[in-house]
Amino acid sequence: MDKFMSPIFVIMIAVIIGCAAHDSNVGIPEVDEVVFMAGYKPQANLPFVGVYVADTNGYFEDQGLRVDIKHASAGEHVKLLLAGDVQFSTSDAGSVMKQVSSSGAPIIAIALIGQKGQQGYMSLATSNINTLEDWEGKTLGYKISLPSDYLAMIEAENVVRAQIKEVSVGFDPRILTEGKVDILAVFKSNEPDTIRSLGFDVKVWDPFEYGVPTLGLTYITTVDYSENNPDIVRRFLKATLRGIQFAIDNPDSALDIVEEFAPGSNREHQAFMLETEIKDARSSYTDNKGIGVMSDDQWKSLYEHLLEYEALDKPFEYRDSFNSKFVDSIYDSGSLP
Amino acid sequence: MLLEYLKQLRKLLNFVTPPILVLLVLFSVWEFSVRISGIAEYMLPAPSVIIMQIISNLPDYAYDTGVTLIEAIGGFVLGVIIAMLGAVIMYQSRILERGLLPVAVLIKVTPIIAIAPLFVIWLGFGLIPKVLIAAIITFFPVLVNCLAGMRATSSDITDLLKSLNASRIEIMFKASIPSSYPYLFAAFKIAIPLSVIGAVVGEWFSGDKGLGSVIIRAHYNLDMPELFGAVFILGFVGILLTGMVWYLEKHILFWHDSQKNQDEFL
Repeated sequence: MDKFMSPIFVIMIAVIIGCAAHDSNVGIPEVDEVVFMAGYKPQANLPFVGVYVADTNGYFEDQGLRVDIKHASAGEHVKLLLAGDVQFSTSDAGSVMKQVSSSGAPIIAIALIGQKGQQGYMSLATSNINTLEDWEGKTLGYKISLPSDYLAMIEAENVVRAQIKEVSVGFDPRILTEGKVDILAVFKSNEPDTIRSLGFDVKVWDPFEYGVPTLGLTYITTVDYSENNPDIVRRFLKATLRGIQFAIDNPDSALDIVEEFAPGSNREHQAFMLETEIKDARSSYTDNKGIGVMSDDQWKSLYEHLLEYEALDKPFEYRDSFNSKFVDSIYDSGSLP
Repeated sequence: MLLEYLKQLRKLLNFVTPPILVLLVLFSVWEFSVRISGIAEYMLPAPSVIIMQIISNLPDYAYDTGVTLIEAIGGFVLGVIIAMLGAVIMYQSRILERGLLPVAVLIKVTPIIAIAPLFVIWLGFGLIPKVLIAAIITFFPVLVNCLAGMRATSSDITDLLKSLNASRIEIMFKASIPSSYPYLFAAFKIAIPLSVIGAVVGEWFSGDKGLGSVIIRAHYNLDMPELFGAVFILGFVGILLTGMVWYLEKHILFWHDSQKNQDEFL
């Protein structure tokens, strides 16, 4: 080979090797890395369970996703989402609306897991509080802000609000057992079981049963992320909704998985939480369309309710709070994989 | 008369100009950075937005500030009384000091966040749990400094009092306690802003009044102008209270060497 031909030969070999190397990557699907931050500590909240199961059972892998699962300890998840450090998180539908309304934060709900609100009210069975009218003359404890569903509920039953003493009591449910309050705002899937485990029988009041439009936990992301990465959002939802369906069909196996993420947790309590949240995640609407679906009517009712009871600072376009196209597209193309 | 007034005014200006200038520079950099970077208001509001928030909600902020101030000052006074009593008891006996000091340290290192909900359960939702939390936070620095001050009494003075047949109690009241004043004021300057923090932490766990409640509510609604509005006011309250302690120190301890180089305006 002469001096002129030898460099051409080297270049040709390099090009052939380069092409071969490129071709060898064609069969390997690209993996997208995202961060999911649950809105609280590891536990059996259904949207968290969907992620735990999807991670453990390889549903994320099937969707070409690698998900770094983190947990918020002090409500920092939404800020981290907005900062771009987290791509997916969870939030109560009402909180999403309040945050979008008050600060214009560009967050949207992409699937509605809790078809009913998480919040309820609890009284001790021994307190002889049997109807809402019995609340008159009693003390109600709420966590931070006076819940709008409480106001709607007592109005629906013509209870005189002025006769109920309302106090903000924070998050410790023992305030009820110690007799400091008679009725306590609680998460239905949490505190009732905690208090029962202390040996107290309780009565739980669900605003939904009084016709109050409430919605529960959602998966959230930012508007920007959903617009720029619609395929990743869809794949994330496919995997997590499949995880939730698995938990509905196999609650015991799902609890085994939860225990891996929440070592040392009380299995009975986690089972109560999962069972309660599965009940609230199902409705005739989800039975027809699938877990996680949401309708404009549901959000509109919630918006009108929050506005009526002044839980929102000001009117706003409620459709900015959610986008159902991702979850709809999953079910439009058939059932979950 | 006018000359004296102008002299006082000049002293006041000399006193307040440096901190105001530093704050102006700080806020200007903040405002400029926020505007240039285009950072969203729900992440970090500009100082001008925060100040407008305070002005447009002044009556609400004033009410909440009043509530927090009452809790903080109540806690500070309670904490100081308990700490000074504790220091006097410990001063009487090294054995008592060895017995009680670990308890004081235990109180100091107990995470307040862990016990604050229990205070609400035990003591209800009113003023008392918040005052108590503020007192607990205030207590330790005052105790330690008061005791150190009493122990630092000049032996010349105690020897003189002993030679005059003064009793142990008389020596304590005439020499040891006055000797602790400079140490006490140093502790007060640490403790008074801490008492405000204590009141705010207490408000996080119960009640819907006070700047702590404003902060927690704004945090959940991502309402950063409202949250920073409360933080600004807390900062102002902290500066004001600390300034009052400096002022009292200057006028009560005018005889002490430590006050000779203080600002004339104080």
